[in-house]
Amino acid sequence: MNVPEFIQGFDPIVWAIPYFTISVFMEMWITKRGQRGRFETRDSFASLAMGVGNNVSSLVFTGILMVWYFFVYEHRLVTLDFSWWVWVLAFILYDFMYYWSHRLAHTVRWFWADHVVHHSSQHYNLTTALRQPWLSPFTLKFMWLGSILIITGFHPVMLAIVGSFNLIYQFWIHTETIDKCPAWFEKLMNTPSHHRVHHGTNPLYLDRNYAGVFIVWDKMFGTFQLERDDEKPRYGIIKNLGTHNPLVIATHEWFAIIDDIRKAKTLRDAAMYLLAPPGWSPDGTRMTSKQILSRWRERNKSTINEEGAELPGSPAE
Amino acid sequence: MEIAIKLLISIFGVSAMVLTCHFFKLSRPSSISDLDEAKRLLDQDSVGFQSGASVLSRDRAVALIEQVSGDSIGLLAAMGDGVVIRYLTPGSVKATRMGENSDLTIQLRDFTFRPVSIKFDDNSAARTWADKLNRMQESQA
Repeated sequence: MNVPEFIQGFDPIVWAIPYFTISVFMEMWITKRGQRGRFETRDSFASLAMGVGNNVSSLVFTGILMVWYFFVYEHRLVTLDFSWWVWVLAFILYDFMYYWSHRLAHTVRWFWADHVVHHSSQHYNLTTALRQPWLSPFTLKFMWLGSILIITGFHPVMLAIVGSFNLIYQFWIHTETIDKCPAWFEKLMNTPSHHRVHHGTNPLYLDRNYAGVFIVWDKMFGTFQLERDDEKPRYGIIKNLGTHNPLVIATHEWFAIIDDIRKAKTLRDAAMYLLAPPGWSPDGTRMTSKQILSRWRERNKSTINEEGAELPGSPAE
Repeated sequence: MEIAIKLLISIFGVSAMVLTCHFFKLSRPSSISDLDEAKRLLDQDSVGFQSGASVLSRDRAVALIEQVSGDSIGLLAAMGDGVVIRYLTPGSVKATRMGENSDLTIQLRDFTFRPVSIKFDDNSAARTWADKLNRMQESQA
């Protein structure tokens, strides 16, 4: 399958750089005027440094990944062309794959070690969107994210482009300066409000709203949580970092895994430290998201229902 | 060459954004207003943390709150415009050092948390907390 001329060498991310930059300046201006948003200089520097490092990492690894993707494409089941409907289908299916990949990134520590970088800021602004990991290829998630669609018959270049558009969409939702979008949009699409929930460490918000572009995946697979007016998100991770050092941000969870495995008493424990949800420990001295939520529900069971909504007549009303 | 140009543009863009953030004075250094706030933060962070003995640094940058059971000590440190929390259990403290003016520096076995200094009102309080923290140096394993 020949790649059409109009997309040869086309990199949507490069074209989006002015949009990224202008948006950050606009958000800072809005925050300066005291309307909404929160910035901290060293945190923003760390986030942006992570973004630059991620670009460098991409430059280093793209060649290797493309060799893998074209190898998979050689073994495709069917051949899909570059028709408009194939583009639309690729965009939707990529987002579906993204949902599951993202869900695994939160529920399997091996993948979390990489993705934790993006969640490691206690701020939620557009620079946080650019806080991206440096070591993603080492998780080997490219072996299936993207590859499944390629072996189905989608061209690797098409998937690289829809993947970039997926990423570009997710940039603008990392902000506190936008409250809620129109109701129809909130129902269908991932929005700043939905994604604030995803970045929240409030027990009710843990491991919710994994969507990239379409929030419908969370509604379909039972991971959706609406942002509540009485539960302002507290951003970051369960054990927030006490440093802005980009090297520590990039590697801290990998070192934590190595340390845990080194101290593991059995092979099973070692495997669990790698593959169980973040927070798992053999003696239960740490807590996973589920355990934190369960403890929080236990304490609030008189006022909170299963979905986390206030019960009628509860003291908060 | 093209890569070098992209990298230079990125560095220029990042510098411009960081400088804008700095000159707009968007950062507001945080502090812990009082021990009630520190206890509320701990309870929020570790659902059901039972607060016992506690102390707040004179500069309101660090607080220590012992769990009623004595099993752990909650350490809260202001960082940037937020607060970072650690739960100290046996083995998690690397060293403590008494300084001048009733200061106590705490270093953890945690490379994601820089050493912090807590300024006590008097030497005897500093010594009491140094003893509690030193007990967290020895691992139970």
